[in-house]
Amino acid sequence: MRIEGVAVAGVGMVRFGKYPDRGVADLAREAGLAALHDAGMSLADVDEAFVGYIQPASLLGIKAVKELGLTGLPVTHVENASATGLVAFREAAWAVASGRAEVAMALAFDKMTDMARGGGSGRGAGRDQIDTTILPAAYFALWAQRRMYDYGTKPEHFAAIAAKNWNHGALCPWSDRRPDHRVTAEEVLASQLVAEPLTAMMACPADDGAACVLVASVERVRARRDGRRLVRPVASALQTETYEPGHTFLGPVVGPATMTRDTARTAYDAAAFGPGEIDLALCHDAFANEELEYYELLGFCREGEGEHLVDEGATVLGGSIPFNTDGGLIARGHPGGPTGLAMVHEIVQQLRGQAGERQVAGARTALAHLVGGGSVCTVSLFQAD
Amino acid sequence: MVRRPVRRPIEDGYFTIPDEPGEAPRLLGSRCPACGEHFFPRRVVCARCLAEGCVDVLLGPRGHIYTWTYVHVPLFAKRDRKVRGDADWRTRGPSGPAPEAPGAGSMSSYGVAQVDLPEGPRVQGILLGESDDFRIGMEVELDLETLGQDAQGNEVVIFRFRPVGFATPAGRENRA
Repeated sequence: MRIEGVAVAGVGMVRFGKYPDRGVADLAREAGLAALHDAGMSLADVDEAFVGYIQPASLLGIKAVKELGLTGLPVTHVENASATGLVAFREAAWAVASGRAEVAMALAFDKMTDMARGGGSGRGAGRDQIDTTILPAAYFALWAQRRMYDYGTKPEHFAAIAAKNWNHGALCPWSDRRPDHRVTAEEVLASQLVAEPLTAMMACPADDGAACVLVASVERVRARRDGRRLVRPVASALQTETYEPGHTFLGPVVGPATMTRDTARTAYDAAAFGPGEIDLALCHDAFANEELEYYELLGFCREGEGEHLVDEGATVLGGSIPFNTDGGLIARGHPGGPTGLAMVHEIVQQLRGQAGERQVAGARTALAHLVGGGSVCTVSLFQAD
Repeated sequence: MVRRPVRRPIEDGYFTIPDEPGEAPRLLGSRCPACGEHFFPRRVVCARCLAEGCVDVLLGPRGHIYTWTYVHVPLFAKRDRKVRGDADWRTRGPSGPAPEAPGAGSMSSYGVAQVDLPEGPRVQGILLGESDDFRIGMEVELDLETLGQDAQGNEVVIFRFRPVGFATPAGRENRA
């Protein structure tokens, strides 16, 4: 179903990175206030909030919203692993589309550095569980190895994608990694081998951060920010796994590749436009080989032809379909919960025409894609007036 | 008579521990009584036809490698490894070796595979051997990896795969 009558009212984020001396409420307040200021609003304007984080603690979302005020608004917590931020955004957009809220907030924060220190990733992970022994890089490496076997893909393809995202990050003020030199595929390949064929520079960092997006009825956004180009979320699909023979249950694992393909199709059907009409895309590139797979699964080329897009430079800024224009998870960073809202932040800069050196000329439509824990996929589509 | 240490699974309900050390463990799986689909680990509701009442079966011990990798970071590294926080990483990228992992698990580097069992399930697990030992399609067999000792002195074990033909348990081991 198409999302009608909803526009982004404001966006704000804290640059992702390591913040050993700041708590999540502090990070959330900074992101929340930035989004409210961008929208010309205060918490008094917000009818409902959806708050996302991955760390295992109760009610942190309400505590974070209290940093912005105590107005009695309903707050719902959202957790879908790496997809958390985009799913919080989906709930906020539909809350407005349904008419039950005129203004809704999606807020997310996390400190992956605390979680890495505190033991395990996510809820309840530990040494006494059968599915927490193996490093996450391994699951994506398993996918990359099979890709190389099936299609003759080379580590150089993965390295070229990683180098692209590092270099996009250099142009983005909100990127964690902003290299002071042009990163080459050779440099990526020469970094430490983590899990064959993936090297350290093909992987995202463990970050801290926060991000916030406000959505509202088109009328309300026009009333507050007249003259600014309107950015509308027009579709948002969310899906969990479907069973096929050979499914791997005990993981965590990457999850079935069909999940991204099917979720994207649902979103394209709802929006009534497809990959051919999209000007830029942001996808889950926790590891560089994923991005190559998603070129195909999101429909930007046929199966087995992702390498051609890499060879042609099609997904670099200036190419025909730039991917991860803010550096992606690999450079902009991946704190967990807030990652999806940072994607919306970048899409809004691009569609407003305010992305500076990263600006995709004439950008009118954009796609955001995330997967979470091998178990969920979400795709949102945006259109500028 | 020398008493062998008792072997205990890292978590109950996933695999058998044979009485004899040389004997292969089996995986604890399920079969759907309605459509015959097999699953690992055990489940009640069939994921294919949604029938209830799947029955317990033993799976394996042999299968074929669907895909594999070799991880150059210690087992349990995510829990044990000190998080890198240097500002240099942010602008220069990583240079030099990764920080050491204090108190890491029993393996400093290890193979991982997804293995297709003849009954149908694809199972992910640790793979015994070195990087140049593995090929997609290779036949592998289940055995047990010792992760350490618990407070009672029992050996804590997890299932792993090894290429068929590798000696066990005293043959080729992962680098310690």
